Amino acid sequence: MNVRPIHNGRGAIDIADVVKSYGSIGSDVLAVDRCSLSIPSGEICMIVGPSGCGKTTLLNAIAGFHDIDGGAITLDGRTLCGPGRPQASIGSDRIVVFQNGALFPWMNNLDNIAFGPVVQKRLTKKEAREKARLLMADAGLSGYEDNYPGELSSGLQRRVEILRALINEPAVLLLDEPYRALDALSKSIMHEALLETYYRTGVTIFFITHDLEEAIFLGHRVVVMTSRPCRPKKIFNIDIPHPRRYDVLTSQRFRELAAEISATVDEEAIKAFTLGDREG
Amino acid sequence: MTTQAKNLIAVALPFPGLADVTIDALAASAERIDHQAGDVIYAAGAASDFLFIVASGAVRLERFCGGEMRLVGLAHRGEAFGWTALGEAAARRHRVAAADAVTLLRLRGATIIDLVTSDPGAGRVGRDDVVAALKSIQAVETLAAGETKHDVIAVQKPSAIALAIYRTGIWLRSPKPWLALLGYACLFGFWHLAVDVLKLPRFAEMPGPGAVLREFLSPNPTYGVSIYTPVYYQHILISLRRVAIAFVLATAFGVPTGLLLGWSKTFRDYVFPLFEMLRPIPILAWVPLAIVMLPGSELPVLYLTFLASFFATALNTMLGVRSIDPSYVLAAQSLGATRWQVFRHVVVPGALPFVFTGLQISIGVAWFSLVAAEMVSGQFGLGYLINTSYTMVQYPTIVIAMITLGAVGYATSAAVRLVGRWLMDWRERQLAMAGVR
Repeated sequence: MNVRPIHNGRGAIDIADVVKSYGSIGSDVLAVDRCSLSIPSGEICMIVGPSGCGKTTLLNAIAGFHDIDGGAITLDGRTLCGPGRPQASIGSDRIVVFQNGALFPWMNNLDNIAFGPVVQKRLTKKEAREKARLLMADAGLSGYEDNYPGELSSGLQRRVEILRALINEPAVLLLDEPYRALDALSKSIMHEALLETYYRTGVTIFFITHDLEEAIFLGHRVVVMTSRPCRPKKIFNIDIPHPRRYDVLTSQRFRELAAEISATVDEEAIKAFTLGDREG
Repeated sequence: MTTQAKNLIAVALPFPGLADVTIDALAASAERIDHQAGDVIYAAGAASDFLFIVASGAVRLERFCGGEMRLVGLAHRGEAFGWTALGEAAARRHRVAAADAVTLLRLRGATIIDLVTSDPGAGRVGRDDVVAALKSIQAVETLAAGETKHDVIAVQKPSAIALAIYRTGIWLRSPKPWLALLGYACLFGFWHLAVDVLKLPRFAEMPGPGAVLREFLSPNPTYGVSIYTPVYYQHILISLRRVAIAFVLATAFGVPTGLLLGWSKTFRDYVFPLFEMLRPIPILAWVPLAIVMLPGSELPVLYLTFLASFFATALNTMLGVRSIDPSYVLAAQSLGATRWQVFRHVVVPGALPFVFTGLQISIGVAWFSLVAAEMVSGQFGLGYLINTSYTMVQYPTIVIAMITLGAVGYATSAAVRLVGRWLMDWRERQLAMAGVR
């Protein structure tokens, strides 16, 4: 059984029959089609699927970056987008950590982290900086406050970016392949740091990745998506108990799960590949 | 510990395919040491005997750069630092401190070289190759730090003057000033050759460099203008004042216009087509209308100078806004920023590098159109001086005014660049990290 941290019961996402297509009438590309997925509060939900299958579209819809054409997305019972709410809304209750990182290069790390509470006018600049300083100290990042993001390794940049989200006490973290550019060793360090953060906050995590090992190591569940249009093909429960440490990678159960999930993913990847062939 | 140590050594050292015996021996020679967060592992300038590999935690590499200690990089699990231990007997370039509680493997540099060069599989790797490979690593490490191996031992913060002298010293020792001099020498050599030695027919009216220099430095210049005459400085000051007024106005109007053009689609739809039609009209084509429309001789000159600068600034600012990575805007919105806050905290600073490119172009264009305007209308100023000297057949004075224009233009351009660097500290540091500067 999965051990889940104590959390405040926020961050349950319900995705119901979401449809989203791109392009003008006649030449539509259906990115997401009748996609349904329920993510309970405090779950780490890993989304795996072929490139270009529409995972990011789904994440952007949850974030409120664009509208959807059908269905509904709710967060803790509140409709984020869907019928009766045509205009997508962006909120600091769900914060995105981008694929290539989006720390503002012109602000030092401390001001980057303090940005949310300051622009929302929840804290004064001084208070926000103080809180940011504490968060950095907790995460072992003391000493980098006055550095600009460009002066840090990409791994550390991601940690700062996650802190920039966490300072707002969001219900959901939306991560879009955040560790894609990292080498294997930095990646494992980042995973441990992310889990540590998770055990402390219990924030719901919606995490898109291509890396199966990453998906299984971090997730309570791994959702394999179909190639375009995007929809859950199969959901795997990862019954390795939390808290997890890196030695689970070598466990028997891990290898079994990896083999099983990999078979499902390969099937979709091949489908996506031939689909791409036909369209190209 | 030993398996872990072996793995770390195999990963961290740049020699793929070392034999197991060698790695075993390396692991056996390694000591394991622990440090608390903040502990200094070694200081810059210290003797370098050991190479370190991070087994857990992370360390900060810092160096003294631009007057303060700056973070250069981090070493995480599986990364090595302290490569100087493997090169020639050099002092440490960086200060290294533990970022959090760390465990390190410490290997003696000499031992590594001995073991690697005597590796049974390493018949292909001679000692020289090893040293060369290590040198390339060190080169990368120093490149990342921005400058090369000059500023190691200074740890106290020096005064600005000391720093300036020090930097000038480095500059003088580099080939740069001599290459620049060579460039000048080529130009003056050709000039001298064409006018004074070969006496080429087309250059018959042209004064040689000697004649110009004599006139320029003469207390009693034949044509009335030299560094000893107040009128020379009057011309410079008047031109400089005109450029300053026009440039400030062009910036004050151009930057907001460019920001609006980039940020607001509606504004762009209304204004950009008009903007694009007015922009290509050469400044000289505006001269008659400017003289007809504007009273006096000063206003037309200012207007013409302003106009060219305005377009350069506005266009570059617009491009700057449009070049901002959309994920910065989304990130800011996601963090709760309103449209105005996004503009203020993302669009303006994000466009700044392009704005300053625009200002560089704008100040150059300002001088260009100023001289054109002064030659047609206006009294005093370097363009006016060139034009009157031409009608009065005072050719050395023309060249004096040209050289002065070049020097003053260069200086104003450099001033704009300096302000840009000061405002965009983040960019300077980022470029330094990437080893560009």
